[in-house]
Amino acid sequence: MTRSNLLKTGLSRRTLLATGAASLATPMLSTRVFAATEELTMLAWYGHAEPDMVAEFEAENNVKFKPKYYTGGDNMLGLISQSPVGTYDVILSDAEYVQQLNAAGYIEELDPSDYAFDEFFPEFQKFPGHWDGDKLYSVITRFGFLGVAYNTEALTEAEASSYDVFWNEKITGKLGHFDWHLPNLGQMSLANGNPSPYDIDAVAWEAVKEKTMSLRPQVGGFFDYGGTFSSLENGQMLAFGGIGDWITGVLEKNGASVRSVIPEQGGLQWTESFSIGKGSAKAELAKKWIQYVTSAKGQAKSADMAAYPALIPNQKGWEVLAQDKPEEAKRQNMLLGQSNVMDMIRDGRIQYRQLPIQQSLEDWNDFWSEYKGA
Amino acid sequence: MRKRITLYSLTFSLPLLLWQLVFFVFPLAFLVALSFWTVKNFRMEPAFDTINWVTMYGRSVFWQSYGLTLALAAGASVLTSILAFPCSFAIAFKLTPKMRQLAIFMMVIPFFTSYLVRVYSWQIFLSDNGIINGLLGLTGLEPIGMLNTVFATMIGYLTLCFPLVVLLQLFSLMFIDRTLIEAAHNLRCGRLRTVFEVVIPSARVGLVVAALFAFILSFGDFVSPVYLGGGDPTTLSILITDTTKSGQQWPRAAVIALTMIGTLLAVAFAAISFAYKGRGK
Amino acid sequence: MNNFNRSKFVEFGLRFYILLSFGFVFAPIAASFVFSFNSDRFPSIPLGSFSTEWYQAVATDPLVWDGLRNTLFVGFIVSVVSTILGFGAAYTDFRYRFFGKSVYMALALLPPTIPVVIMGLAMLAYLSRINLSGQSISVIISHIVICSPFAMAITRLRLSQMDPDLEAAAWNLGASEWAAMRYVIVPFALPAIFGALFITMAVSFDEFAISWFVSGLNETLPVKVLGFLQGQVSPRINAIGTFVFVTSMTLVIIAQILLTRQMRDTNIVAKD
Repeated sequence: MTRSNLLKTGLSRRTLLATGAASLATPMLSTRVFAATEELTMLAWYGHAEPDMVAEFEAENNVKFKPKYYTGGDNMLGLISQSPVGTYDVILSDAEYVQQLNAAGYIEELDPSDYAFDEFFPEFQKFPGHWDGDKLYSVITRFGFLGVAYNTEALTEAEASSYDVFWNEKITGKLGHFDWHLPNLGQMSLANGNPSPYDIDAVAWEAVKEKTMSLRPQVGGFFDYGGTFSSLENGQMLAFGGIGDWITGVLEKNGASVRSVIPEQGGLQWTESFSIGKGSAKAELAKKWIQYVTSAKGQAKSADMAAYPALIPNQKGWEVLAQDKPEEAKRQNMLLGQSNVMDMIRDGRIQYRQLPIQQSLEDWNDFWSEYKGA
Repeated sequence: MRKRITLYSLTFSLPLLLWQLVFFVFPLAFLVALSFWTVKNFRMEPAFDTINWVTMYGRSVFWQSYGLTLALAAGASVLTSILAFPCSFAIAFKLTPKMRQLAIFMMVIPFFTSYLVRVYSWQIFLSDNGIINGLLGLTGLEPIGMLNTVFATMIGYLTLCFPLVVLLQLFSLMFIDRTLIEAAHNLRCGRLRTVFEVVIPSARVGLVVAALFAFILSFGDFVSPVYLGGGDPTTLSILITDTTKSGQQWPRAAVIALTMIGTLLAVAFAAISFAYKGRGK
Repeated sequence: MNNFNRSKFVEFGLRFYILLSFGFVFAPIAASFVFSFNSDRFPSIPLGSFSTEWYQAVATDPLVWDGLRNTLFVGFIVSVVSTILGFGAAYTDFRYRFFGKSVYMALALLPPTIPVVIMGLAMLAYLSRINLSGQSISVIISHIVICSPFAMAITRLRLSQMDPDLEAAAWNLGASEWAAMRYVIVPFALPAIFGALFITMAVSFDEFAISWFVSGLNETLPVKVLGFLQGQVSPRINAIGTFVFVTSMTLVIIAQILLTRQMRDTNIVAKD
């Protein structure tokens, strides 16, 4: 090898090493820059740690959220069980999974006096499954209704006001399912006239299965959150089972011609709650966050969350929302002193979504995959 | 060749062996063990129970998905091979060396783009109000429903496999002895006949390997069936993720996974022995 | 070649078919580029107005930057380690014959043929047992498993172009095995080594399925993109895609230029 060439390879090797070292050091460097800021990890549905929700809290408390977004309750349980203890400081889960979280010992006990339950509607002060006797494990933060989501150009509100619309030949091949058995089968159970859709005996369960199967030729696809979102927007699907305003609300606000109604057979309620992960090293900060997001101010933000809107259980939050965003308060029908969404619950038109009571969850799962594969 | 085991030889051979043993063989072996575990109330418990195998193999939906996935992957493999062949043939025989270089370079480019992004992009083409139907509309034709169909899934598989298949076919075509082709021509062998009786047999290994890769890739892909096919019908890859999403049935998912691996190995073995059939060792 | 077998029509048809194929391959890439500058929240025809808002949204999203940093960090380590491992295996195959070699080669080449969903499943189940899940190291470990076969294949191809006697000649001239490796094999394989570094980095850059399973909180950029696809579908996908594409293409072209320069240099040296 000639000298000049040696020099050149030497040089390039040095530059290579230098760039290598630099790029290796970048992650370390950046953690040092943020070292003054505390990091709080959150396991949640998509959107809960986006700037519109957390920016203010982050600035006030010099904290930075590090989110992990899951795609369903089982996915959430899997993520927790397969990560070291204490990985997630704050956990947002659907209400029906709180008991599973608690049974598995994944969440910390909370002190009820830390949270503004007196500001909540009475219905939500002692939410089932969140308490074990007097012990609190999770705080409800938002909820919403599931009904018939439909394209307003293809179907009228009158048509959409019954689950029968799913069998309407106008939407053959254009009916989408949010790919989760609980809300869909719950709606089928309601459509079959079961007053408590998740507490049904063997005969009623067989009838629900049969009813559901008869819907199969109508179905155009099974979608996750993102897929549901875009296929409703671009008119690829004209109606959806298993969802509600949490998806159509976003699209409606963006000008798409889609809406949700609670049909005459009744609707379901989804509920989201915050817990503190077992073994969290930042339980104090996590508590602060839950206090913030269930306070009137945090609740108003939560109602209008960019990713998906929701109803809120804090009455003071309703007041703040009516002040700051009267349009949204009106759109979601969350105005005090007049007929509002709480009446739907009080009139018994809404049932909590929950795990099946007389069948095992496995039965429902298995049937759902049979339905999908049919 | 020296055959002694020396520090020198071990330095080069051992690291990969150890790595793949610890992080490839062990995880797969663990998958086998996992398939015998039980799940109670969302929690996995070590056990030796054949219940997962019995349950999965006893379900018609599993065999339906299995047959469907097999058919889809075989279809994708055949379709990609057929569609890719004229392209690789033309690149190999009809382009100047410089243009061929460029063509190869262009075929490598897709490997540097995200498959997810490309699939998302296809949604824009295929949706009811998308680019293709927009163009059809201009010519006064009725829109065609393409998204959320098997056709869209196939487009996705093609996106995944086409560049790789072209490259693999190309490399075998480029090494064909050209005098063979000229000889065929001089013997007044027709164009198509030359392709079928000279070109394809001489490039058989490459063509089969290319088809095999297309099969492997489509057999395990979950992005196209979900984001282009609308998750309907259920392929095995969807069934796997669904199973882990339903009551933490990881052991059952392991059963599906192991069945898939077994199938892939069998197909690969069959394809390779077909490729080398009749060839002198 | 005689004219008997040439038909203008067929010649033209075949060339046109090449163009058609590239059209198919590049259509989604081009569309993604175009729509990344489109103002509409949901892409449709006709186009909205020109806008860089999705790039701004991406650029100001700290999570995307975290993801990018993770991806680079993972990609760099993965490419170096897999290239080293792959080189070792390629050299082993090139030089040695031993009992169980076919098993060794199967181990070295098999991983990319296992569907990524299965790899992800197995990796997560296994790594969480040995407390290695949910970290960057988990992604690195799994990526090395699937990347080293590529490095091995690329290096092996290059080595097969080498005259096996070359190494023996070096030994006869008194070089130790190590010296022969240092002065004969490595320089000869250098282009392949560089190629392997870039290819493995590219594979790692684009891998989302295994990473989705094992990465936990330390998501890489492709996992973020999958998240966008599962969550709020947004043209940010296109912006990230275009950005990553332009970056990796720049890398590839630089590598190409470096390689051709280096080959030229080696040729000059050889003439000395």
